Amino acid sequence: MASTDQQPKSQQKLILTTSDDHDIEVDRDVAERSILIKNLLDDFGPDAEIDKIPIPNVNEAVMKKVIEWCTHHRGDPPASQDDDTDNRKKSTDIDEWDQKFMQVDQEMLFEIILAANYLDIKALLDVGCKTVANMIKGKSPEEIRKTFNIQNDFTPEEEDQIRRENEWAEDR
Amino acid sequence: MAGPISDADFATPSYLQAFRSVSSISKIDEGYSEDTRSQSGSDLVLRMDTRLGDGEDVGMDTHYPLPEWVLNMSESDRSEFAYAILRSLRTSSIAGIVEKLNPLLHLDPVLHLPPEITFHIFSYLSPETLLRASTLSKAWRARVMDSPLWRLLFRLEGWNSDFAQVRAFEEAERVRRANLKEKKTRPRTTEDTDSDKPSTKKRHCQKPSLLERTETDSSVRARMEPMSLDGSSDGPPNWAEQHHAVEADEGPSKADDAMEGVTYVSEPTGGVPLSPLESIRRKKTTTEIDEDVAATTPVISDALDPPVRPTLFLPSSTEPKINWQYLYKQKRRLEENWDMGRYTNFQLPHPDHPEERHTECVYTIQYSGKYLVSGSRDKTIRIWDLDTQRLVHPPLQEHTGSVLCLQFDERPEEDILITAGSDCRVILWQFSTGKLIKKIDQAHSESVLNLRFDDRYLVTCSKDKTIKVWNRKELWPTDDAYPSSTTRSKAQFPPYIINMQHITETSHLHFKPLQPYSLLMTMEGHGAAVNAIQIYDGQIVSASGDRNVKVWDVRTGVCLMTFPGHTKGIACVQFDGRRIVSGSSDETVRIFDRATGAEVACLQGHTNLVRTVQAQFGDLPGNEDELEAEARAVDRRFFEAKIKGLVPENLTRDRRRVRNAGSRDPRSILAYGAKLPPGGGGSKWARIVSGSYDETIIIWKKNADGIWEKSKVLYQNEAVRAAGGGRRRVPQNRNQGGVALQPNGTAATNFQALAHQAQAQAQAAHNLAQQASLLHAAAQTAQGQAGQHTNAGPTTQTGAPATMTGNPVNPIPPLGQQAPQVQQQPPQPPIPAAGAAAPVPQGLTPGQAAAAAAAAAGPHHHHHHHHHAHHLNQLNHPPTNSRVFKLQFDARRIICCSQDPTIVGWDFANGDRDIIVASRFFGESG
Repeated sequence: MASTDQQPKSQQKLILTTSDDHDIEVDRDVAERSILIKNLLDDFGPDAEIDKIPIPNVNEAVMKKVIEWCTHHRGDPPASQDDDTDNRKKSTDIDEWDQKFMQVDQEMLFEIILAANYLDIKALLDVGCKTVANMIKGKSPEEIRKTFNIQNDFTPEEEDQIRRENEWAEDR
Repeated sequence: MAGPISDADFATPSYLQAFRSVSSISKIDEGYSEDTRSQSGSDLVLRMDTRLGDGEDVGMDTHYPLPEWVLNMSESDRSEFAYAILRSLRTSSIAGIVEKLNPLLHLDPVLHLPPEITFHIFSYLSPETLLRASTLSKAWRARVMDSPLWRLLFRLEGWNSDFAQVRAFEEAERVRRANLKEKKTRPRTTEDTDSDKPSTKKRHCQKPSLLERTETDSSVRARMEPMSLDGSSDGPPNWAEQHHAVEADEGPSKADDAMEGVTYVSEPTGGVPLSPLESIRRKKTTTEIDEDVAATTPVISDALDPPVRPTLFLPSSTEPKINWQYLYKQKRRLEENWDMGRYTNFQLPHPDHPEERHTECVYTIQYSGKYLVSGSRDKTIRIWDLDTQRLVHPPLQEHTGSVLCLQFDERPEEDILITAGSDCRVILWQFSTGKLIKKIDQAHSESVLNLRFDDRYLVTCSKDKTIKVWNRKELWPTDDAYPSSTTRSKAQFPPYIINMQHITETSHLHFKPLQPYSLLMTMEGHGAAVNAIQIYDGQIVSASGDRNVKVWDVRTGVCLMTFPGHTKGIACVQFDGRRIVSGSSDETVRIFDRATGAEVACLQGHTNLVRTVQAQFGDLPGNEDELEAEARAVDRRFFEAKIKGLVPENLTRDRRRVRNAGSRDPRSILAYGAKLPPGGGGSKWARIVSGSYDETIIIWKKNADGIWEKSKVLYQNEAVRAAGGGRRRVPQNRNQGGVALQPNGTAATNFQALAHQAQAQAQAAHNLAQQASLLHAAAQTAQGQAGQHTNAGPTTQTGAPATMTGNPVNPIPPLGQQAPQVQQQPPQPPIPAAGAAAPVPQGLTPGQAAAAAAAAAGPHHHHHHHHHAHHLNQLNHPPTNSRVFKLQFDARRIICCSQDPTIVGWDFANGDRDIIVASRFFGESG
């Protein structure tokens, strides 16, 4: 067995190298919130001496945010792999800490979502997507367009056509 | 750090750097499919570039290259520097810059996130919100109108769907298209274009001359971008220029004749094309591509992509795929028809073939997809094709008494029909041929009142108060399904059943398997006839005239729980694993929590015995915990209210009589600790349909507060008239009478109200008057008495549904001075009671109710009916035959049988082609 086994797994340190070539040191259990990293480490086995893990799709600023989230959630039960969440009505409730965490500019928000997707951190991806969903909920089309700077490329006739077609879903 | 323009483009895929490097890349080839969740670096670059393209008008680096020394500053220094510069400007200039910066701060997720992530985001939104989002831009619309997304939404509503049917249908269409291509039939040029260029990767090559082929172009494009298929396309933004050109000469009017995949016209297998009316009547359940589909499938050419109106198949040229947005939409429209009471009626037999009808009342039916099987007092069983409304075989004749119950499974691997009746026989038939497989004589000592089977067991129940379990397949003592007796079990096991606990290993050698349909055990415990039975997941649920529902373990015969609650005998029961829904002679439908025995709802509305009930709660898989949490919350509020003294401490007799139909108000709560919330839980689409001896069918829905309410009341006899297409049915050897006349307070009140209502209608206008007379007729006949206006003639077909959309009408005679007279006729017992025949319809003893529920098919029943009929005929009041014995509903229809030999149905597709087409993919019910 490797010497690293002497210390608890959680206290092992890993270094993640971001796309912009910054090294970030992180506790192993925090990094393993990412299924991508966890699988990578598992694949190498316990004996492997891994000092640096390149994360070519995430830059330093985003990686720091992601690590902040993973650190806060390091004690959470591991994400279940079954996809039966798809069978439930989904709530867009977000706990308070996560809500604050997600109060970032839209560019960062999308970057976090993309990073969570890439790193396979399902809970973070969920929170990110819920945050965007909540920005859409309960708004008029014009408000949503403003929120996301969406260019309306429909002609008024087209818009009208679509609105009429959608009438079947209106609450009676 | 590297300069942004020089090498950032490909070396650094990060968001920010790619962002800065924008302008250097002129135009990225988008003929690229990012079809997996994994993103390579270059992938990201592509996306970033798209985004940067949008930001170009900000003009940061394009118009003003920054000097090296600025770029060499650190981020924070540069930020301070920029701020300093901004502060040197006039406010209006700052405002202008803010305006320009806006696109950087507010980013369009559809342009910046890949489809699998927007899918994830959209999965949190309601269909209403999503449809609103589809109006934002073309790119949004393309992402929102995504078939897998709507498939998820469909499931999240708790709706069932028939995936096997979907797959079979897609396969059939694939074959059809392949054949078509082979034949090289070329009905339209557009089709060639379509089938020759199936690849999305060729998008850029497809630049047909817009002026000449606008229609072609847009439809080709529609097929070329199967974005909703696999979520692999980024949407149509790079077609935007063409959209504008296309719109010019494309009016909505074109939609109808732009029959692009009209290849259906040359349908190779096709039969005679149906008239629209015929197609409406017929429900297609097979996988053949028929005219109904043809009408909705063609890709409607319009300027929008996906087309404004969803079509059954996705407008993609590759593999035929069912469009779930279409299915979702049609399901919602169908639900609206249910809520609004919009339907057409139909009947078995077909009005043109009255000779195929049962000759006496029909006690039982079951249908599935294409077939309906009915069992009658005329001792026959008839198998009907629901599409043609015709008999599939000649009537099956082996029973020597009324056929009271049946179940079938037409799937080839089962291919079985089991029937039983008052001749105490159970008969097995091969469904596909109608051949007799096996007869079990003397299965019970009295009438077999109900039977159910699953893949392992057949369960029967009888007027003899017992329940019997039979094996469906050869059974070894070592099999899981083999009975296991315990000391707790009061069940009787036949001597050949081995108690495995007493057998040593060595005696194994002597085992012989039980032959199929051997008696496994007899359960005793009910104090009166067992009227109805269900088997689900190893549990038998039985309902008896002794006012109790019981749950039994099918292997041990142990009675696991008894549910008291009904105040009179119980006629029918349904069990879905969590809830027991029962209908009783006490005129209520009740819902019990299986886990705790608590009554979670009591539905009051019928005015006579509830003979048949079906419930559809629309659960999402795995929502037990949610239901229990809801129940706990209600309990909590109940106890809080109790502490505050808001709940009366002692139940008065009056209060005890008040039942709860699902209210969560602490003052209405009658039981706590249940695993189900009041009302029984389930989705907002939950529906219960009950049929009664009051000759009505009630559709129950939950209101906004979760309380079950009458949504619609349907009248059996109106349906018969409406379904007959204006033909008068010829009564032949009718089983008449059996009419319970119930003089009581409510009746009198309703009587007045109805009379007023009817008069008001009659005064309204000529056509309204006609409707009113129909209403009279309906109400009168519904009550089983004279109908002066029964012969409403051809107007009934349109009149009846129109009436139904109004306020539900109670089945009480509106104008009947005769009513009291009739009611004073010594009423015969509606149904011979079990042994005792007390001629008072109200206040049946449990035993009598039991018999009533069983709809008693005994010989002296017949006698009474004749007797009764004689009375009525003397009064020149044609009686009605509308007591509802059995009903079943699915997503689209309710079908019921009754005293009337004609089986009638309500089709809530209401003749709508789209709904009819989509309905075949909806599950059995709900």
